[in-house]
Amino acid sequence: MIWIDRKWSSPLLALALAVIVFAVPASAELGGTISTIQADQLKMGASRQVTSTSGYQLHEMQSPQGIRVREYASPNGIVFGVTWNGPWMPDLRQLLGPYFNQYMVAAQGKKAARGPVSIQLPGLIVERGGHARSFFGRAYVPQMIPQGVTADAIQ
Amino acid sequence: MRSSKNGIFSASLPLLALLCTFLLCLAGCGGSAASSGSNPITPPSTPPTGVNNSVAITAGGGPTGLVNGVYTSVTLCAPGTSNCATISGVLVDTGSTGLRILSSALPSGFSLPQQTDSNNNPIGECFPFVSGSTWGPVHTTDMEIAGEKASSFPMQIIGAENFANIPTSCSSNGPTMQSLADLGANGILGVGNFKQDCGPACAAESNLGIYFTCPSSGCQEIEQPIGSQLQNPVSLFATDNNGVIIALPSVSASGAVSVNGELIFGIGTQSNNALGSATVLTLDDNGNFTTTFQGKSYSNSFVDTGSNGLFFLNTAATGISVCSDANFFYCPTTTDNLSATNQGQNGSSTPINFNVENADMLLSPSDPNFIFNDLAGPGSGNFDWGLPFFLGRNVFVGFEQENISGNAGPFTAY
Repeated sequence: MIWIDRKWSSPLLALALAVIVFAVPASAELGGTISTIQADQLKMGASRQVTSTSGYQLHEMQSPQGIRVREYASPNGIVFGVTWNGPWMPDLRQLLGPYFNQYMVAAQGKKAARGPVSIQLPGLIVERGGHARSFFGRAYVPQMIPQGVTADAIQ
Repeated sequence: MRSSKNGIFSASLPLLALLCTFLLCLAGCGGSAASSGSNPITPPSTPPTGVNNSVAITAGGGPTGLVNGVYTSVTLCAPGTSNCATISGVLVDTGSTGLRILSSALPSGFSLPQQTDSNNNPIGECFPFVSGSTWGPVHTTDMEIAGEKASSFPMQIIGAENFANIPTSCSSNGPTMQSLADLGANGILGVGNFKQDCGPACAAESNLGIYFTCPSSGCQEIEQPIGSQLQNPVSLFATDNNGVIIALPSVSASGAVSVNGELIFGIGTQSNNALGSATVLTLDDNGNFTTTFQGKSYSNSFVDTGSNGLFFLNTAATGISVCSDANFFYCPTTTDNLSATNQGQNGSSTPINFNVENADMLLSPSDPNFIFNDLAGPGSGNFDWGLPFFLGRNVFVGFEQENISGNAGPFTAY
């Protein structure tokens, strides 16, 4: 996430954190597990709210810079969708995890429109809109959306 | 479908039109700003009593033939000198703040002072747009446009050779736009509502991935004081510095190759830039107003000359299909005639009628036009009123921290 301070990447600090939170991967990411969200929240000092609704669990985080990130987790604990909203961008490389490269390849080819970005691949949807001081977007893996839940829930 | 056309001749046509406009305007010709429902601006046939505050703009395909862009020329000078370069094909962007010019568009041998930190390390910037970020060093320049001048202010050179390595936290935002092919323009003249490109957030935080110091050991994110950030050049003019007006004529439903209009500096400062009967919509802290459409309200809505269509909602919300070969534009089977209402924080509201045409039809290889008032596509849950909105109306961009004819900026008015 963009609000992770550079100093957190030092090995000693990471070890200390691992002891505290029973080491998990550093990134909360699309396709990742709920434990990755928890690790992120502690590192960032971000507030987090968890809402359980029928079919999925919503984890909402707000960084000190006012960037709100929502992560949608399925009943088996996998993040199937993420959204962001704030004056500046979150760290998409961390947020999209293994799907970031796919997004970059597809986005690099999008020269036709100058405006909101909509990338629709068979296994990945990424949408971006807004302008400087007001960015928002979402990304999800259609195949991972739990039964009974539609993509409209990912906002 | 095409959204851009290759070819030297199609790219040179708008430039030729721009040159002719300059010649005509020197002879004192009036503007062509038509309007539909807003106060028409009629520039006087003799120069206004103040400095010349109006520069020609051309809506067309621009340097790369990308549809629905609006472009102008700016003159850069090394600060305090007459060592200058005029750059054409610069995108006029009300959706961002700051002057950015492609390194490749600068004449060889033309150089501007590099901004440095207290250790003499060069400052670089990764500025995010929706379609990608621009990466490059911050330099200092004078800028002359029409009869106005901004002196010695920070701007960005995109894609400078000595800034070839893009930091990780910059590429984490998404793709970068470093070339003419990426940008579709030789530069960006950001004349949006804000006076700095980033503002207080970048002065207070070093981890937004925007400003960097770049010693030889590698770029590091930094806080950047307000005065050292990219400035809105218009806000630095001696006069006519509280906002801008985009005045473009209307086009027919089938569009046009290009149309000429004016970028006017200042609101309520001279005889050619009064607010008149335009409705003022004050904006929130993020530069947005609310659009209500078919009974639902969308609060992150805005106008933006830098967006090349009317981008709103999605198929599920509108019932309009996207094009089978390009999911970023709408392809209705027949023309949709729609209406919405825009409302400011101040409670003022004004309706707007707009059409959505089949984009495949507009952008077919046999269609010679680059400007369309009915090119639309899905957005991201809001209304991005791009270039089509500006055709046939005068749109006022009121700057933050300004009281403009009794109205508090930032605002959009039309």
